[in-house]
Amino acid sequence: MKSLHTEILIAKHLKNSVFKNTAVFIIMLFIGLILLYAVLSGWKNYTSQNKTSEKHQHESREDWLKNPDKNPHRMAHYGNFAFRKSTPLSVFEFGMEPFFGNAIFLEAHKQNTANFSEAGFSSSMLRFGEISIAMVLQILMPLLIFFLGFNAVAAERENGTLKLLLSQGISWKQLLMGKILGIVSVIMMLFIPTILILVFIWLLLQNFTISADETIKMFLFILFHFIYLIFFCAIAVLISASGKTPKKALISLIGIWLVFTIILPRTTQAIGAYIYEAPSKIQFQSNIEKDILKQGDSHNPNDLHYKAIKDSLLSTYKVDSVQKLPFNYSGFIMTEGEKISSKIYNEHLEKLLTVYEKQNSFSKAVSFIDPYIAIKNLSMGLSNTDYDSYIDFQKKAEAYRYNMAQKMNALQVKYISNIKPGPNDKPLTIGKEHWADIAEFHYEPKGITDVLKSEIISVISIILWIIMLFVFIRIAAKNLKAI
Amino acid sequence: MLALLFKNFIRSKGTKIGLIFLLLICFISLLIGQQFQEKQQNNIVEAVNYQKKHIARNAAFHKDEMGLLLYYIKFSLINKTLPINSLSIGQRDVNPSIQSVTIRGLEGQKYDSELNNPNNLLSGNIDFSFVLIYLFPLLIIVFSYNLVSEEKESGTWKIVATQSGNTFLYILKLFYIRILSLIALLTIVLFIAVLFLNIPFDKSLLTFYIIGFLYILFWFAICFFIVSLHKNSNFNAVILLTIWLFLIIILPATINTYIVNQYPIPEALELTVKQRNAYHEKWDMDKKITMDQFYDHYPQFAHYPLPNTEFSWLWYYAMQQAGDDDSVKQSQELENKLEQRNRASQLIAQFVPTLHAQIQLNEIAKADLGNQLLFLKETKQFHEKMRLYFYSKIFDNADVSKENWSKFKVETFNDSSETSFSKAFLPLLIFNLALIGLGWMNFRKSKNYFF
Repeated sequence: MKSLHTEILIAKHLKNSVFKNTAVFIIMLFIGLILLYAVLSGWKNYTSQNKTSEKHQHESREDWLKNPDKNPHRMAHYGNFAFRKSTPLSVFEFGMEPFFGNAIFLEAHKQNTANFSEAGFSSSMLRFGEISIAMVLQILMPLLIFFLGFNAVAAERENGTLKLLLSQGISWKQLLMGKILGIVSVIMMLFIPTILILVFIWLLLQNFTISADETIKMFLFILFHFIYLIFFCAIAVLISASGKTPKKALISLIGIWLVFTIILPRTTQAIGAYIYEAPSKIQFQSNIEKDILKQGDSHNPNDLHYKAIKDSLLSTYKVDSVQKLPFNYSGFIMTEGEKISSKIYNEHLEKLLTVYEKQNSFSKAVSFIDPYIAIKNLSMGLSNTDYDSYIDFQKKAEAYRYNMAQKMNALQVKYISNIKPGPNDKPLTIGKEHWADIAEFHYEPKGITDVLKSEIISVISIILWIIMLFVFIRIAAKNLKAI
Repeated sequence: MLALLFKNFIRSKGTKIGLIFLLLICFISLLIGQQFQEKQQNNIVEAVNYQKKHIARNAAFHKDEMGLLLYYIKFSLINKTLPINSLSIGQRDVNPSIQSVTIRGLEGQKYDSELNNPNNLLSGNIDFSFVLIYLFPLLIIVFSYNLVSEEKESGTWKIVATQSGNTFLYILKLFYIRILSLIALLTIVLFIAVLFLNIPFDKSLLTFYIIGFLYILFWFAICFFIVSLHKNSNFNAVILLTIWLFLIIILPATINTYIVNQYPIPEALELTVKQRNAYHEKWDMDKKITMDQFYDHYPQFAHYPLPNTEFSWLWYYAMQQAGDDDSVKQSQELENKLEQRNRASQLIAQFVPTLHAQIQLNEIAKADLGNQLLFLKETKQFHEKMRLYFYSKIFDNADVSKENWSKFKVETFNDSSETSFSKAFLPLLIFNLALIGLGWMNFRKSKNYFF
C-alpha cells in the first residue's frame, strides 16, 4: 500500500502544477465549450434527421395502403422507400453517416443506391471534418493530453529535480505510474462530466427505456474511449521520460499525434483505393446489363431463355397459346425476370463489396499500430455508423425490395386474368386489401454481437495495447536514465 | 550574408527531412490526382460506348412504339472534368460527374448518387490541395517557430545583434530564405503537375498558383507575428500548433456543423415522395385532369387529342410530367437551400483563410458545391431539351427506324463561371498585410529589447 501512496503523491503534485498554468484552464474551458457545442449540434442533427425519416416512412406507408384497386404490377412500380434512422449513440459519433444517403427508393426491376447524403449537399467544408463528441474525444483530447504531459518527466530532468526524486528511493516505475495517474486525473475532469452528459442525453433520447443491446453498446463506448485516453496519457509520459528536453518531447508527441490522426488514416485508405480500383456506377450498371443480356432479357421478345420457358409451359399445360394458361403468363415471366436480374445484381454487388473490403483492409490492419483508427472503427461500429452498418442497411433494403416485387408478381400470377383487356376496356385490377400483405420496411441496426464480430480486429488491437502499455512501462522503468 | 544564412538553413538535418518528406507527399498526391483523372476519363469513354450500344439495342427491340422505346432510353450528360481537378478533387468524389436520365420524370433521377466506398469518403482524398492546406503550414511552423527565440536561448542573439547593423533586416532575411524554399517547392510541384497531369497554362492554373503562394505567405505571416512577440521557443511552438489546430480542424468543422444545422434540407426527402405520389396518383384519376395540366404547361402540344383508348403514351408522359410539375415547389425550395448553403460557406470562408483557400481551389477546379448546382441546372435543361424533342415524335408515334439514333451522343456541360481575382486573393492579401503590419509594429516597439 505504501508504494501506491507514493504514486498518488506524484500524481497530486503533477495535477497541482498543471493547474498553476492559466493556459491549461483556458484550453480546458475551450474544449468544454466545444464538447457542449458538439452535444447540441449532434442532438439537433439526430432529432431532425429521425423526425423527417420517421415522418416520411410513416407517410409513405400510408400512401402505399391508400392506393386504390389496381394491377399489382402498378404497385410494384409505385414502390416503397427505405429510410434510415439513426441510433441513439450516433448523436456522439457521426461516423460515415454524412456520406451514406438517407433514403432508397425501392421499385420493381430496379436496384437503387441510397440518395441524399449530407455530403452531396455540402460545400467543401465537410472535408475538414465535423464537430462531434467522438471527434473531441478521439482527436482533440489526445492532443490536450500531449500538451499536459510533454514536460511531465522531461521538465524534471531539465530542472535537475529528477535526480533528487530518484535518489530519494522512488523507483522509475513509481514515477512513471504516478505521472500517468496525474495526467489521467486531469483528463478525467473533462471526461467524467462528458460521460455523465452523454449518458443523460442518451437516456433522454430513448425516453429512459433502454434495451440491453443499447446499454452494452454504450458501456463499451465509454470503456474503450477510457482505455484510449489512458493509452495517450501513458505515451505522453513515456515520451517525456525518454526525451532529453521538453521541447524534443513535445515535437515527438505532436509528430505522433499528426501521424495517428491525420496522416495514417488518409494514407492507408488512399493506398487501398489506389491499389484496388472500384468500378464507377456506369461501369457497374453496364456490366450487370451485359450479364442480364447473356442470361435472358425479359424485355426482349425474342430472347432464347424466355422463349424456352414459354415453350415448356405450353407443352406442360398442353395449350397452344399463353393466353390459355391457367395463370397470368406475364406475371410468371416477370417473376423469372426479377429472379435473374436480382441474382446477377447481387453477384456484382458482392464483387464490388469485396473490392471495397480490400480497400479498407489496409486501414483495418493499421489499427494495430494506430490506436486512432481502431477506436474510430470501434466507436463507429458501436454507434452503427460504420461501413458494415451501411452495407447491412442496403442489403436489407434490397431484400425487402425483392420480396415486395415478387409478392406483387405472385398476386399477378394468381389473380390477374390471362386475357388482355382490349384497348378500350378497363384495366385488370385486384382489391386494395392486398396491399397490406406487404409488411412495412423496418430496419433494425446490427446488434452488439454482430458489431463485435465485424470489429474484432479493433477489439484485439485495443487489448494488445493494454498489454503493450505494461510492457513498455516495465521496459522503460528498467532502461531509463536520470541524465 | 544571405547565401550563408541559406546554407545554414538548408544544412540542418530537420530542414532536409522536412522538405524531402513534403516533396514525397506532394508526389503521392499527384499520383492520386492522376488516378482520379484516369478514372474520370475511363468513365467518359464508358459512358459514350454505353450510350451508343444502349440506344442501338433498344431501338432494335422496340421498333414499333416510340413511347415504349423512350421509356427505356437513357441520355447522358457529362460534367466536364478539368485537368486541374486532379490537384483539387473537392466534391467530385461524392457527386457524380455523369448524369444519365430518361425523359420520364426528372426529379426522381436527378439526385442518383455515384457508387462509393464511404470509408474513402470519410477519410478524404490526399490531393494536392490537402497537402497544401494541411501539411505546408506544419513545415512552415517547424521552420520558423524558434527563429529568434532559439538564438536568444542559446545566447547567440547578442552576437548577431551586434554584428549585423539592422536586426530587423536580419530577421526578414531569415524569413525570406524559408519563404523562398517553400515557394520553390510549390513551384516545382506545380510544374511537375503541369507536365504529369497535362494541365494547361491558363488563368485557372495562375489563380491556383497565386492562391497557393498567398496561402504559404499567410502562414509565414502568422509565424512572423508570433515571433515578434518575443516569447520562448516552447511557447511559440505550442501557440502556433494551436493556431494550426484551430484554423484547420476546429473552426472549419464548427462552421460546417453550423451551416448544416442552419440550413436543414428536409425538402430532399419530401421532393421524392411528392414526385412519386404526384405521378402515380394520376393513374387512378380522371385522365382529363392530367391532360388539362399538361396542355397548360405545353400549349404547343394542345392539338394532340387524347386517344380514345385506355392507355396512351400521350397520357403516360403527361402523368410523368405531372410528377415533376407538382413537386416543383419542393424542388425550388431545395435548390434555394443549397444556394444558401453555398453562399453562406463562401461568405464565412472569407474570414477563415484555410477555408477560403480550400473553397477557392475547389472552385477553380470546378469541384465545389456551386459547380454541382450548375450541373444540376444544366441537367434539368438537358432533360427538358430531350423531352421536347421526343414528345411530338411519341405523340405522333413516329417511325422508330426513321430516327437517326446515332446522332444522340453523350453531351458535355462546360462550367464557364469565372473566378474573380479580387474575391480569390483579397481576403488572403488583407490577412497577410495585417499580420505582417502587426508583427512589424511589435518589432519596432521592442527595438531596445533586442540588446
